[in-house]
Amino acid sequence: MLKEFRLPDAGEGLTEADIVSWRVRPGDTVAVNDVIVDIETAKSVVELPSPYAGVVVELLVAEGQTVPVGTPMIRIQTEAAVGADPDGGGRGNGSLPSGSGEPADSEGERTPMLVGYGPRVGAVSRRRRVEASAPAASAGEVSPQEVVAGLFRPMAKPPVRKLARDLGVDLNTVPPTGRGGVVTRQDVEAAAERAAAATVTADERVALRRETRVPVKGVRKLTAQAMVASAFSAPHVTEWVQVDVTRTVKLLHRLRRSPDFAGVRLTPLVMVARALLVAVRRHPQVNASWDEQAQEIVTKHYVNLGIAAATPRGLLVPVIPDADSLGLRELAQAISVLAKTARDGRTQPSEMSGGTITITNVGVFGVDGGTPILPPGQSAILAVGQVAERPWVHKGRVRPRQVTTLSLSFDHRIVDGELGSRVLADAAAILNDPGTALV
Amino acid sequence: MSGPGDHQVADSIEPADVQTLTMARALNAGLRRAMESDPTVLVMGEDVGALGGVFRVTDGLAKDFGDERVIDTPLAESGIVGAAIGLAMRGYRPVCEIQFDGFIYPAFDQLVSQLAKMHYRTAGAVRVPVVVRVPYGGGIGAVEHHSESPEAYFAHTAGLRVVTCATPQDAHWMIQQAIASDDPVMFFEPKRRYWDKGSVDLRAASAPLDRARVVRSGERLTIAAYGPMVRTALDAATVAEHEGISIEVVDLRSLSPLDVPTLVASVERTRRLVVVHEAQTFLGMGAEIAARITEACFYQLEAPVLRVGGFHTPYPASRVEEDYLPDVDRVLEAADRVLAY
Amino acid sequence: MSDLASPRGPAGPRSVPPGGEAIDFVQLLTPDGARKRPAEYPLDVDADTLRGFYRDLVLLRRFDTEATALQRHGELGLWAPLLGQEAAQIGAGRALAPQDFAFPTFREHGLTWCRGVDPAQVLALFRGASLGGWDPAVHNLHLYSIVIGTQVLHAAGYAMGIQRDGHVGTGDPARDTAVLACFGDGATSQGDVNEAFVFASVFNLPVVFFCQNNQFAISEPNQRQSRIPLYRRASGFGFPGVRVDGNDVLAVYAVTRDALDRARRGEGPTFIEAYTYRMGAHTTSDDPSRYRPTGELEHWQQLDPIDRLVEYLLLTQTGDERYFAEIAAEADALGVRVREACRSIPNPLPESMFDHVHVEPHAQVDADRAWFRAYQSSFETAGGAA
Repeated sequence: MLKEFRLPDAGEGLTEADIVSWRVRPGDTVAVNDVIVDIETAKSVVELPSPYAGVVVELLVAEGQTVPVGTPMIRIQTEAAVGADPDGGGRGNGSLPSGSGEPADSEGERTPMLVGYGPRVGAVSRRRRVEASAPAASAGEVSPQEVVAGLFRPMAKPPVRKLARDLGVDLNTVPPTGRGGVVTRQDVEAAAERAAAATVTADERVALRRETRVPVKGVRKLTAQAMVASAFSAPHVTEWVQVDVTRTVKLLHRLRRSPDFAGVRLTPLVMVARALLVAVRRHPQVNASWDEQAQEIVTKHYVNLGIAAATPRGLLVPVIPDADSLGLRELAQAISVLAKTARDGRTQPSEMSGGTITITNVGVFGVDGGTPILPPGQSAILAVGQVAERPWVHKGRVRPRQVTTLSLSFDHRIVDGELGSRVLADAAAILNDPGTALV
Repeated sequence: MSGPGDHQVADSIEPADVQTLTMARALNAGLRRAMESDPTVLVMGEDVGALGGVFRVTDGLAKDFGDERVIDTPLAESGIVGAAIGLAMRGYRPVCEIQFDGFIYPAFDQLVSQLAKMHYRTAGAVRVPVVVRVPYGGGIGAVEHHSESPEAYFAHTAGLRVVTCATPQDAHWMIQQAIASDDPVMFFEPKRRYWDKGSVDLRAASAPLDRARVVRSGERLTIAAYGPMVRTALDAATVAEHEGISIEVVDLRSLSPLDVPTLVASVERTRRLVVVHEAQTFLGMGAEIAARITEACFYQLEAPVLRVGGFHTPYPASRVEEDYLPDVDRVLEAADRVLAY
Repeated sequence: MSDLASPRGPAGPRSVPPGGEAIDFVQLLTPDGARKRPAEYPLDVDADTLRGFYRDLVLLRRFDTEATALQRHGELGLWAPLLGQEAAQIGAGRALAPQDFAFPTFREHGLTWCRGVDPAQVLALFRGASLGGWDPAVHNLHLYSIVIGTQVLHAAGYAMGIQRDGHVGTGDPARDTAVLACFGDGATSQGDVNEAFVFASVFNLPVVFFCQNNQFAISEPNQRQSRIPLYRRASGFGFPGVRVDGNDVLAVYAVTRDALDRARRGEGPTFIEAYTYRMGAHTTSDDPSRYRPTGELEHWQQLDPIDRLVEYLLLTQTGDERYFAEIAAEADALGVRVREACRSIPNPLPESMFDHVHVEPHAQVDADRAWFRAYQSSFETAGGAA
């Protein structure tokens, strides 16, 4: 096997050396570590030992020549069977840049130096990327803010914010078209043009600043239709209960540290969903729909759990199919994925259909409860309020405890007061003491 | 400097599991519990034995645990940290006291090149569960080298955890969590808050060691602070409330790692951030936080992230430290500016 | 001692190389192979032990020269040769009891040898494949320390731990434990080393400070570190100091064994100055011809640690040419083995750089690792750090 020995960095970052004298000639036999050449670096005269045993075939650089580190200096014919050189080192600077005697790559070559192997010369070409980098639309994964309509805060770059302010456009009213729901410069300009087109007089211009008119369309329009349909077809009853959820909050903290839940986003919403699913298992009649045409009540033996989400497009209620079959970890992941998809505006219509019962998390906006309106075709919706520290009588003393409010609206045609109360009380009891979910 | 502290602060009138303690006593009780529950825990430093430390944080420990476990060391900071590394290699959990912030620099190599890297250098074979307690910060009218805030040097160093407590409750629990951690922990104690009293729940910590906490909810802007500045930030928020401005205050608690998600969640709501610390703003924690939040909340921010902190001077003579240290007015000035965008 | 009275200033020219006669130290074997028997250090070693010392010295030297060659082949980024210091390191290393713990410098290849560390693990550090190489608890040997003198404080702290474990002065030879803290002449100027002396002294720690005075801190001669012989520093700290002929494996062994025994008995620290000479370069990046006085190397070559043992083995008929040839063959085999092992040390995976920064999860490290992983996988072809 023909081996080449390249000029190594004799010490900590030297870049070149002078060939002082060869100690061997072509035809000589050398053993490993026989000194073959004297070189002079910027630091000292160094004897270089041969890394190979064999017969010298050719000297590639002449005495007196100054050569850069990495230059092939000598060719030695080795006996392949000797096996002294597995050729695999590759990282050593004698065989750098590319390993054993192959021509150097243009990429990733090292500038030889005297401490260590020397710095790599920067690649002159760019490695091809599968997908170009894109800025994150937002830092956090999905924060619960987006859950619940109406309170969405627009996202926009600072110059776009400035443009909006200069043009008198309220960013809250501009439909975003950018990736991830970002309001773009074009969106703001379009909004300003619409406003201008609608403006005839100075008075109107003034009025425009005091009011913003946005055409009802898209998700907003659908939401409005659905809400009206539901509110005026299904007689709503809302009940609520305050509950001390300190134990659930502690359980969440514990679970978050557990390796089983590594990388999973565990929020109070997940626990509420879990509690509701247990309550539904105990009272399946609440998970039903009213079939007006057939004059039948249809009780579902599966739970497709809707999670109301505020998105750049408006209120969406994506659904987790067969949520009752999921473990806590899977449930948490499903909620996280669903919320992220909704936030990115990628929720497909098919992912919003078929819900049987729904949760809306109004607590993230700092409110305690409400009277949620049923999604059409469903018989119950649970609103969960903020979890906040409140004075609470605990074990006979007033203590600060983590307290929340659950509000359950249900269709009184299907669910009577007793059933609704039991479902709500059961969910509350589980959140008060998660251990009761086991019984 | 204050006296040795209020040893019997109102213990009797409260339930045993919630007590009103000064931060110094809360730390002392935390150290005591750690030493009781784990015989490998040692306390070492200058004057930590008979004297109980210059701030009395280790008061009474030598009497109860003996000088084999509460070690008055030679006056040599590098020696304290270096010896602690050796003790940790032998299976102990040393808690070192550096007497004052400004005295930590002789130990710099042992902290950043030895302590921080030992686990890494040994590819995980060696653990060095050393806690280095550092009373830090100004506002106590001290002579020079007794009022500094060197935390950023250590937060910059990979391999160290850096935490700081702002309340007696956190002091009590975070010191125990730091001791229980298998990593080296730099534990910064705001010395001007040593004698502040607060209720300490002896049953449970408020949060894991590496989490920030929202200590006051608000709407218009978020103030991120830590250590001695948390109270200043809360005071500023109270003043602002009277002016109709709702300010959220986040106590960072951990400087390395930084709890970025908690900050992001807050800023996504309030859309404005001011970072407050005593240390110089130039290349300080606030600079890192500003960069993080600008990247994470770029589309939500209504204003640049502003910093309130020390000037780019050495810590000045104490007669002018009130002008050097951020106070309520300095914090509110920044709040006004950030709200003006 | 002439050192204090010397008219030479610190920057003055170096005198004629210090010879064995001029220096007052403990010696059991003269450079000619004659056995001396100082009363304070009685030593009876059997033939096997003597031959063991010889084998250690020869194999260690072979390992060292092979590593130097591997650097010249381009297989190592750097090497710190120990040529000339073999006897000091083998003498000290063989004096350790199994339960003792040692803290080496980065030139302590004799200690890694004695403590059973695989040569490839030692080379991994110098090849840039690792920052350490071995588990200290497995070999009771800490990693090499690069920042001069830092490990001496760790040794003092470790000895404090031994003290607290109650593993000192029990009289049980399997339990009583000592620490060997290695450092060089340059390190004696470091604050950490002096602080370690204070800790060891006031706490009466079971530690032996083993200083190899190889005459140079890179290029700076001893006179830049001290105006008195180094071993005399100890008295100022309140514990004994002794100077030993560092090229005499028997003397180093006897003196170190004595000091370790003393430490294990609970009688406190000892400072040993092993007076020796670094015949090679500081590292492969150094050029000693720029600072080494003419004739000095030749002088010390006369004092070679292996030659005198050869003489003694021949004199006492403990070893003969056949035995020496046997060991030489073993050394050659070791050379081949080391070379092959070095070349087959794998490069660490790039992502492994994120491992073991902390014991417990750290959000920043985790975030950096996640980013790096995504970045790497964003390219059409794998690699980048190929």
